[in-house]
Order: sequence, then C-alpha cells, then structure tokens
Amino acid sequence: MWLIRVNMNDLTSRVEPLPDAYKHLGGRGMTSTIVAKEVPPLCHPLGPNNKLVFAPGIVTGTPAPTSARVSAGAKSPLTGGIKESNGGSSWAADLADMQVRALVVEGQAKKNGKFRGLHLVWDAAAGQPKVEFFDASEHAGKDLFEAFPKIYAKFGDKISISGCGIAGEYGYGNAGIVYNDPAKRPTRYSGRGGLGSVMGSKGLKFIVLSREGSPGVPITDEALFDQGRKKMIDALRTHAVTKPKGALNTYGTAVLINILNEAGGLPTRNFSSGRFEGAAKTAGEAIFEGNKQRLGKELYNHACSPGCIIQCSNTWHNPDGTEAASCVEYESDWALGANCGIDSLDDIATMVKLCNGYGLDTIETGATIGVVMEAGVIPFGDSQGAINLIHEMGKGTPLGRILGGGTAFAGKAYGMTRVPAVKGQGMPAYEPRAVKGIGITYATSTMGADHTAGYTIAPEILGVSGKQDPLTPEGKAALSRGFQAATAFIDTSGHCLFIAFAVLDIASGLEGMVEECNGVLGTQWTTADIGRVGADVLQTERAFNEAAGLGKETDRIPEFMLTEPLPPHNQVFDVSDEALDSVYAEL
Amino acid sequence: MSEIVVDVWLYGGLSKYGRGAEQGSFANVEARLREGSTIGDLLAFLKIPSWERGITFIDGQLSAMPGLQPDMDHILSDGDRAAFFHLNSMWPFQYRHGAAMIRELAEAMQAGKDRGLHHSYGEHESNA
Repeated sequence: MWLIRVNMNDLTSRVEPLPDAYKHLGGRGMTSTIVAKEVPPLCHPLGPNNKLVFAPGIVTGTPAPTSARVSAGAKSPLTGGIKESNGGSSWAADLADMQVRALVVEGQAKKNGKFRGLHLVWDAAAGQPKVEFFDASEHAGKDLFEAFPKIYAKFGDKISISGCGIAGEYGYGNAGIVYNDPAKRPTRYSGRGGLGSVMGSKGLKFIVLSREGSPGVPITDEALFDQGRKKMIDALRTHAVTKPKGALNTYGTAVLINILNEAGGLPTRNFSSGRFEGAAKTAGEAIFEGNKQRLGKELYNHACSPGCIIQCSNTWHNPDGTEAASCVEYESDWALGANCGIDSLDDIATMVKLCNGYGLDTIETGATIGVVMEAGVIPFGDSQGAINLIHEMGKGTPLGRILGGGTAFAGKAYGMTRVPAVKGQGMPAYEPRAVKGIGITYATSTMGADHTAGYTIAPEILGVSGKQDPLTPEGKAALSRGFQAATAFIDTSGHCLFIAFAVLDIASGLEGMVEECNGVLGTQWTTADIGRVGADVLQTERAFNEAAGLGKETDRIPEFMLTEPLPPHNQVFDVSDEALDSVYAEL
Repeated sequence: MSEIVVDVWLYGGLSKYGRGAEQGSFANVEARLREGSTIGDLLAFLKIPSWERGITFIDGQLSAMPGLQPDMDHILSDGDRAAFFHLNSMWPFQYRHGAAMIRELAEAMQAGKDRGLHHSYGEHESNA
C-alpha cells in the first residue's frame, strides 16, 4: 500500500510505503490526519504551505456495495478550517485499485500561466504506481464539458479524471473538485469548501488515473469481508429508501423538496420563509413525471460510481428528450430553485450544468445568489438573471469574483445581514429554525454548515440510547455529537453516507459495514467502535480548527435566525450556546 | 352543522385521488368536510386507503410516518393544510430532528423504540 507525494514546486513525486501509523485509516480519517499533521493551521489556504490530500475509503475499490468514494482534504479557503469533501466516482475506486491509500499534493508550481496534469499509471515492473506529469495548459479557461473529452482522447477510455474548473483557476471559495461520472461527464464533485481552488492554486488542473494492470485492494480476511458485504447488500436491497425502485432510485434526493416544504423547513428566498409556493414543480416527483412525459417511459436513476446499488443519480431531460443535466440533487435543486424563488426545472437544470462546467459548488452558488437577490442585484425568481450571474463567475468579471467568493463574502460585499452561513460556508437546504437538530450540526460541525456532517446511526451504538430526550436541547446536542462521530466513521469506511438510511433500521447492515472494514484491514472492530473511531477523527479536525482560530465562538448560527421568526411556524433558533458548546465539550 | 375547508396536497402516486385536480406529480384539492372531521374522515372522503399513505403533515406538523399512524382521530380545523405522501418518500431523522409534530405522533414516538429515531416504522422495526 502506497502514499504518493507530489511536489508542485519542482514537479517531482515520491511513492512511499504507507506508514504503519496510517494503515487503519482511510477516506476522511486519512485526509484529516495528514492535513492536521502536515499543514500549518495558520497558513494561507491558497499558498504553498497548504496540502491537498486525496484518500479512498477503507473498502473503496472492493466489491463492497456503494463504496466508490474518495475524500479530498485540505485547509479550506472558504472556512479557514480543515475540510473533507467527499465524492463518488470511478476515480475513487481506481485510486484504491492502484493501492494508493493517500495522494498528497504539496507546494505550488510557478505561476507562469501554465497548468500541469498528473497521470498515475501502474508500473508492473516495479510493482507500484508511477506518477507522470503532463502539460494541461490547453485546458485552462475551458469549460469542463469541453476539456473532459479531450482528456479521454489523449489517455484512452479506461481512465478516470479528477480536476478543477475555471472556478478553481480563479481561486474562488465556491470551487469544487470534479470527477467523472460513468458516462464520462464532469458531473461528480467534492463540491464544498473551495478545494477546487486549492488544486488550482498549486498549478494543478487534472489528475488522470490509468488503473490497467493494477492489483486491486488486498483483503486480509476474505470470508469475513464477504459476510459483511452480503449483510450490507441485503440491507440496501430491502430498505424502502435504498432498494431498487425505492425512494432514492425513483425520485432521487430531490424527493425531499416536497417533504421539507410541507414541514415549513425549505429555505425560500434567502431563508426568509420555510415554504415555497413553487416547490412541487421542482420536486423529485416532478422530475420523475416530467421525464416520463418527455421520454414516453419511466426513467429510474443511475449510479454515480461503479458498484453502487442504491443508484440515486437522476438526469433531467429537455422537451425533445435530449439530456439537460445530471444530476439534479436535492441541495442543488433547492439552492438554485426555492432559495432563489425559481420554480422552473429547466432553468434549474441549466444552472446545474453551468456549475458543473465551470467547476462551481451548486450549494454555495445558490446560497450566494439568494443573498445578492435580496440585495437587489437581480430580483427573486429571475432565472435568466441567475443564469447570467453564473456566467459572470465563469468569466471572472469583478461581480463574478465577488460571487465566487461565496455566500459570506458576497454578503459582506453588499452589506447584508441575512447571510446564511456558518464558519463562512453557505447553509444547505434545511432550515435550522424549523429543524433544530440539523441547526445544531450546522453550528458545530468542523466543516462549517454541512448537511452531510451528522447522519443518523442507531442510538444504542452511539451510547446515548435512553439517556437523552431527543426533544430537549441537551438531547439534540448529544445526538448531534453521536451523529457527527458516526458520520466521520462512514466517511472513513468509504461507503456512501446513504447506506446510513438502511443500516439505521436494519442492524445487520451496520454489522456488515464493520465486518467489511475488519475483512480488509484485519482489525477487530465491533459496532461499538464506530463512535470511538469517528470521535478520534472529529477531535483531530477540531484541534486543527482551534489552532486555525475557529474555536467554539464560531459554533454559532447566524444572528438573524435567533431573532427573525420563520414563517410558517414563526419559530426562531432557540438552542442555547451552552447546548451548542456541549457538543464538542463532551466529545 | 357547519362546514370546514381543508387545503389538501397529494404527492406522487397519491395524486390519482385528487378528484380531478391532478397536476402531474401532485394534486391540490379543496376538501369540504363537516366540523369535527378527522384525518380518518378526510382519507375516507378522498377514498385513500390509509395504508397507501406514508409521511403526513397537518399544517406543517408531522402527523404520521410509514407504519406509524397515530393521527387517524386527529380533529381537523377550518383552514388546515393536510399533505399526504406516497410510500416512496423519505424524511431521514437527521433532517427532521426537532421539527414540529402533532401531539399524538410525539407521544407515539416517545413511547416507541429509540424514541422514534428511525426512518421507517413498519417491516424493519423488529430488526432495529
């Protein structure tokens, strides 16, 4: 197993045996450990001292279902703290198959207008991966939908690609890292936290993987691994949310649009209401029915990456049946829809595709546009105006650069007070005043406002069962703590977080996840270790953030949410600072 | 006896019960019921078998989940908004933790295993 270091200062690389201290780490556990150990917390995120780390999860690259996930980690230019941003792609599985447990990009190439690419191949003679550099300058300033086919033409069809778009070249806080999807499109993202700009700041444009000949992931105990894998498959294939033609496979994550709208928790027009009158036109049900009308047949969703059996990724089609955009996720749909007062799926899909092409995080982009709509730059509901603003970002105009800085940056530029962000990261699609548990996670996550920071695992596993009333603030804080630790474990395992939907209700699936990890690593973990392993990751991240100046004082929800009642329930966020502080004080 | 009007939203496959108000993926129906009517009465009025509905809201308050329907006798008020979801919907716990619920559902969840901290409450509850 290998750790690869790429030095962009002198365009060299080293392939090192994985240190023993890292042998039980993967995914988020690996990236956060390396970033915390090697990146000065006070360094400039776009400077030479930041490092960009990629790590496949523990079971990524194996036959474990729904596990082709990769963590990207660095100091975030958006939050100023540590960042792990997770993506699903064949790129993750290919990196794992080449037995690369961590790829660390260090230093910074001289800014002479050039961008480099990395090409990782398997060196059969040496029995290890090899790094080659190539000139990627021709792709600078180009739409990723234009660049990707050229990369495939250069290196062949059997590759996987990661990279940054124009947004990353400009150094935007809302630039993501892109990966290929199964159809070779640039649509899968480690979207959050501006990591695309960390990549761009190093003069690095693409990382191409040619896995041919690589040996695959070694499995220490095949029988145990297979036992766990079967339990996980059974759970995913039988649970109502994750099974074939279940909620996610039929309606995608946008199935939550109507639900949150009815709950009064769908942030609308820059978080000024919890209900959007046009929500039903943009929901997952509308995507399914709209595709059926336009294609003349039912269309179920596809996998974002090899080996996924949930298959939640949708594609929205134009009236003539051609593809408009893939994938219209719930958070993208909301950010560019209800949050901007826009109810046209066609326009939302146009914006999703533009974000994918420019290399922008859809959540941060939509949250930012919502703020400047309130500032009067364009009116709410003006979808053509919103499309134009995304083009401003792509062109790098002065306005585009303000918007590319993200929600908090644009809010400051326009003197706004209703700015939905925590630690500088724009808030996703769940209103803390209506859903207070997610508000606690937004406030306290090491990542800034992050809807993927606190997935639910059975409370007896978290050690909080029966001790806390989930309706009290203290109970919500205790559960958020446990959820955040469990999520850190899943992000380390390499499984997609959506396995949590099934394994919460089907305990054997949770056992299966741990058995898969033990099968690969030879560890003796039990489900009781999930919280401990996850808490270790959180404590590492928390220590980095505190050293970077992000202490508990930054674990707060924006002030307007404490004072402005949110229609229709007319609630404020009333969880005390003491309860918020208890999340990490008692970790 | 006086009448109440309920603003009904039916999502996904339940839109077929929309009494002519279907709009593709949803239906929005104005239901006129006698005063004192319950969710059970509304379902009967719409001819929706209760087992076909899952997540349910009354005025933005969660009232039922798949396999857990303590709202059948909940009395509706004039002007209420009632929303019924098909069984292929979802609302993961982390995204509803602390959201508003009717009293009957809050009590049912408090009395249940793990105080209601699950995604579904039917076929998988015994495994949880």
